[in-house]
Amino acid sequence: MRLVGIHHTYASGTAALRGVDLDVDAGVPTVVRGGNGAGKSTLLRIAAGAETPTAGTVEDRPAVVGYLPDRFPARLRLPPRRWLDHMARVRRLDPDVVADRADGLLEELGYTGDDDEPMSELSKGNTQKIGLVQALACEPGLLVLDEPWSGLDDDAADALTALLASRTGAVLITDHTGTAHGLPGARVHRLRQGRLATAADPESVPLPTAPPPGAMMRIDMACAGDPRPLLERVLPPARVEGAAPGRFTVRVPAPDSDAWLAAALAAGCAVRSVRPVRPGQDSNRLPMPPGPGRSEEVPR
Amino acid sequence: MRWLRSATAVAMLLGEDVARSERFVAPAVLYAGFLAILFGGAPGPLPEPWAASALLLYPVGAWLAHAVAETEDDTARTVTLSAAGGPLPVVVGGFLAATAGIAALGLVAVVWGVIATWGTATTGGLLAGLLAHLACGITGSAVGTVFARPLFRSQGVALVAALTFLVVTGTSSWLPPVGTAAASLGSERGGGLGPFGDLVLALLVAVAALALVAGVEQGRFAAWRERWAAMLDRARSRG
Repeated sequence: MRLVGIHHTYASGTAALRGVDLDVDAGVPTVVRGGNGAGKSTLLRIAAGAETPTAGTVEDRPAVVGYLPDRFPARLRLPPRRWLDHMARVRRLDPDVVADRADGLLEELGYTGDDDEPMSELSKGNTQKIGLVQALACEPGLLVLDEPWSGLDDDAADALTALLASRTGAVLITDHTGTAHGLPGARVHRLRQGRLATAADPESVPLPTAPPPGAMMRIDMACAGDPRPLLERVLPPARVEGAAPGRFTVRVPAPDSDAWLAAALAAGCAVRSVRPVRPGQDSNRLPMPPGPGRSEEVPR
Repeated sequence: MRWLRSATAVAMLLGEDVARSERFVAPAVLYAGFLAILFGGAPGPLPEPWAASALLLYPVGAWLAHAVAETEDDTARTVTLSAAGGPLPVVVGGFLAATAGIAALGLVAVVWGVIATWGTATTGGLLAGLLAHLACGITGSAVGTVFARPLFRSQGVALVAALTFLVVTGTSSWLPPVGTAAASLGSERGGGLGPFGDLVLALLVAVAALALVAGVEQGRFAAWRERWAAMLDRARSRG
């Protein structure tokens, strides 16, 4: 599925999205990050077909879409299984088949709610599980999840992570907990001021043209053996944040980082990651190495 | 016509939700109370009393359709929209649920009338009565669907606008389909489009209303809305 040139302006006149292009491919989860009010939920509603954008089109949306909104409603009157049956029928699916799958999923997520009470009587976590099962049990061609881990206990959160990791269809997620980044092959996009930063269109986000004065890069390197002699004698001076046999992390001023990296590569080291240090970030903390296959661009 | 299957499923979902919310109770009790007064005294021979009960089914249908359109939580409605694949099945589903409600109420009115004035009903009169109730109720459902979410975000504005529209159109006995359907049962029998004509016109009105509501939610008529908003702005800045 692809979103092409999506603009969205609310009736109040507030522009939420200003030209978003996004490919959501099957096989790898597409993760959208961004601050509060960046337009993530609006983008997901549009992708799920719950809202029509002011301009732009959604191409090749699969027939069956599983959608979990942010702030899943707490005041539903229907009992959970009645609601799941109704939603299966609305999707033109056999409610019995979907109910069987839903039973399995509810067990995996550790659902403990009552089946006959209205959903408004359920706890937040159990309501969230019903919402998730609603989206997952229809075996959707496209799964759109807005903050799916919110309100889940640790076991359920792990179960959900495992479920999503094993999925083969297209998935579009927003997530504040950082769990979605760890999903295998996750493509992370940043939504800022209604625009997406993607590799294909780096101009879409108003980045500062030059790094601000005093900007630092954190460079994580791998080397053979003990890095200390290398750092002390061979390489240009740098602030060492951590060193262990086979690995070290340094901080260098952003303008010098290219020269420093070239020297380190010439000395036989390998690059593990290069990331800008956010202003005000704790300088003594050893950064976590990124997961395999994670595609996050390095702004220069 | 796969969306029609979704629309039926949405009608069942919204119908059950309204039934559990008990928001249908007020219009249904109002209608039943009115029927009790109408048929409790000394009603004239059929089909004349049905003119009143059919006419009342017009605002009651609008009330029911409004209740159905507003029954779901805003967020729950986004899930329904996504599952159904767009606004059309959701809007049509709500209308179908309201129409089922007015059909039940209309049937009560017809049966009650037949029993209360035993022996005065003819086959033709019975058919005309049924069709007139349906025509009025369906038009009411269409009006209630328009004066509700998603076209009207404010419940107060929707209520005032709907009441004005219902009173103006409901009291014009020359205006098809509601005015003529009710009048054809009463004193001015034989005029207008006939019972079938009124029902067909009511269905056309409903199709137009549903197309309008679904179209607006799908973002059509956006240019018109902008022009309308600009006109309102200009009027406001002058005043």
